Amino acid sequence: VENNTMNKLMVTIDDKAFEIEVSPQRGSAGEYVVTLDGQSLHVYVPDYATPEAVDWMIVDNRPYELILGPDLRSVQLEGLRHTIQVRDKEIRSVRPASGDGRLKAPIPGLIARINVELEQAVEAGQTVVVLEAMKMENEIRAPKSGIVRQIHVKPGQTVILSEALLEIE
Amino acid sequence: MFKKLLIANRGEIAVRIIRTCREMGIATVALYTLADRDSLHVRLADEAMLLHSPQRYGDADEVLAVAKQLGADAIHPGYGFLAEEADFAERCAQEGITFVGPSAAVTRSLRNKVQAMDTVKQAGYSVPVYVELEEGKLDESYLLERAEELGYPLVVKSAIGGRGRGARVVMKAARLMETVEAARREAKLIYGDDHMYLERSIAPSHYVVVQVLADADGNMVHLGEREGSLLRHNQKLIEESPAPSLTNEQRQELWATALDIAHLFRFQNAGSVEFLVDGTGNFHFTELKGRIQIEHAVSEMVSDVDIVREQIRIAAGEALGRTQADIRLNGWAMQCRINAEDPWNDYLPSPGLITRFRLPQGPDVRIDTYGYVGCEIPQRYDPLLANLIVKGDSRESCVQRMRRALQEFRIVGVQTNLPLHMQILHDEAFAAGKYDTRFLNNFRFETICRDETVRRDLAAMVAVAYALRGHNGKPQVPERIQTGWHRSARRLPV
Repeated sequence: VENNTMNKLMVTIDDKAFEIEVSPQRGSAGEYVVTLDGQSLHVYVPDYATPEAVDWMIVDNRPYELILGPDLRSVQLEGLRHTIQVRDKEIRSVRPASGDGRLKAPIPGLIARINVELEQAVEAGQTVVVLEAMKMENEIRAPKSGIVRQIHVKPGQTVILSEALLEIE
Repeated sequence: MFKKLLIANRGEIAVRIIRTCREMGIATVALYTLADRDSLHVRLADEAMLLHSPQRYGDADEVLAVAKQLGADAIHPGYGFLAEEADFAERCAQEGITFVGPSAAVTRSLRNKVQAMDTVKQAGYSVPVYVELEEGKLDESYLLERAEELGYPLVVKSAIGGRGRGARVVMKAARLMETVEAARREAKLIYGDDHMYLERSIAPSHYVVVQVLADADGNMVHLGEREGSLLRHNQKLIEESPAPSLTNEQRQELWATALDIAHLFRFQNAGSVEFLVDGTGNFHFTELKGRIQIEHAVSEMVSDVDIVREQIRIAAGEALGRTQADIRLNGWAMQCRINAEDPWNDYLPSPGLITRFRLPQGPDVRIDTYGYVGCEIPQRYDPLLANLIVKGDSRESCVQRMRRALQEFRIVGVQTNLPLHMQILHDEAFAAGKYDTRFLNNFRFETICRDETVRRDLAAMVAVAYALRGHNGKPQVPERIQTGWHRSARRLPV
């Protein structure tokens, strides 16, 4: 697995937004190079092997203890609690090819509901599948208008990332 | 000396009592409920018995039955529950079990705060101005008439509970009736007695108590005073010894008065003589608590006396064996009560599983707690999780030490008031020792990070955490899916 992907993120701490690029440092597990406001920071995560349990990091020469909310919506640091928001800029820019009627699972999860039947006409943007992941129900929308020609999954079924869900023609 | 002592309590005070028993070579019996099964006191005791009664630790019958069954020759009540229950002390004596505390007769003379204040007032000492409410007399004209004698603002208090839980301030006559009724209902619930009195409000004020020890022969010493003026909703949060609000002359006078008052009641065992100090430095006796207090360790730190050991020795009939001249009060001690409650959510209790628990260490730092990693903090009981006590050679060094101890203390899994304590310890007025009972009314809990470097580093760390949680460096929840969410569709899996 190529683990050298750069993440382009928009991180908002309370009301202030930062544009950030994160790249894993080659050959050094748990080390990252972060570019922020044109400044380069080195971040080390001692507990990188257990991402959900991470409770401290070292930024350049500054160690910090923090408590990250399970859904990354809040963080506590030095006796203060901040609301946070992370947006992934890179993914947003990669839109699905329009016209492609094949709908794939955008995240791994559990099929909660299928809102359409075979040979049914659907509108682009209409919710066709509800996928349960990360303790939430995610509505998966039709990428284009057309007729549902194939349904590959059933409610209750677990799907992996990019698994084919259904096809619209 | 006792062979086996039963602790009729839970939490950090049960742990505290077990420690001294171990050092004295006395076997211990712990009691626990299902909700408390994880608590450290159960693990540390020599024997532990599950309680079945719905009254739990407050059930005199079950506690006595367990003591007899396991052959305990003494019972330590801790605070709350069966402490200050004269009937229980009497029943222990009948069963040939020693109750660690004052005799039933002394406890009776102290239990009703109005009667205790009457006794002290008659002996010529100052007490707050108060009027008693006749039991059963509830009509509005009677209440208004009694209140008029005092003037407003006044405080509605339970004759049993005193200024603890249930006390309410009334600013004007229009609110008197409903406040008395509400206080009465609450007192009935907490203390099982709705006998009330009205007291003229002394505000701002300082809460100062003197720790005394007295043996059966009438020998008595004090271990200095504690100040507990830092309150939130009538509950003390921070206590210290000596009291920063007193001059040395006031201190000497306070100590002498406290000993006189304790003698007045023929007090024995360990107790706290409590005073309200008004704006002009005059102090008024409010009550004498004949039990161990949550903040007793502050006095232990400055006096080097183990108060629980003294309680047990005195209960066993041993003499104090020391005079006032043997007691040396050294340095400055402070305690922060660490509660499992959420400072960002109106201080609601925060029960749950402790996943990380790093205690502060180093010189002159003490922790009394029942918590540890893997311990479930129950919802049922009060949120006190730990007492953090530090000592310094001056108040300044004590404050500095408390700041660093708070910083070292790390609790993950439940939310705690550690951030509030940290901010109080960094408050200028508090650091200067200038605070009274109003301090937290005017306190602004800081929520904004003012350090730009820290905020930038935080953004970097959040970005790394996000990348780390993603799939092969890719986030698991891409933006285009997030925008497709409907808030109403979010729910927890069944």
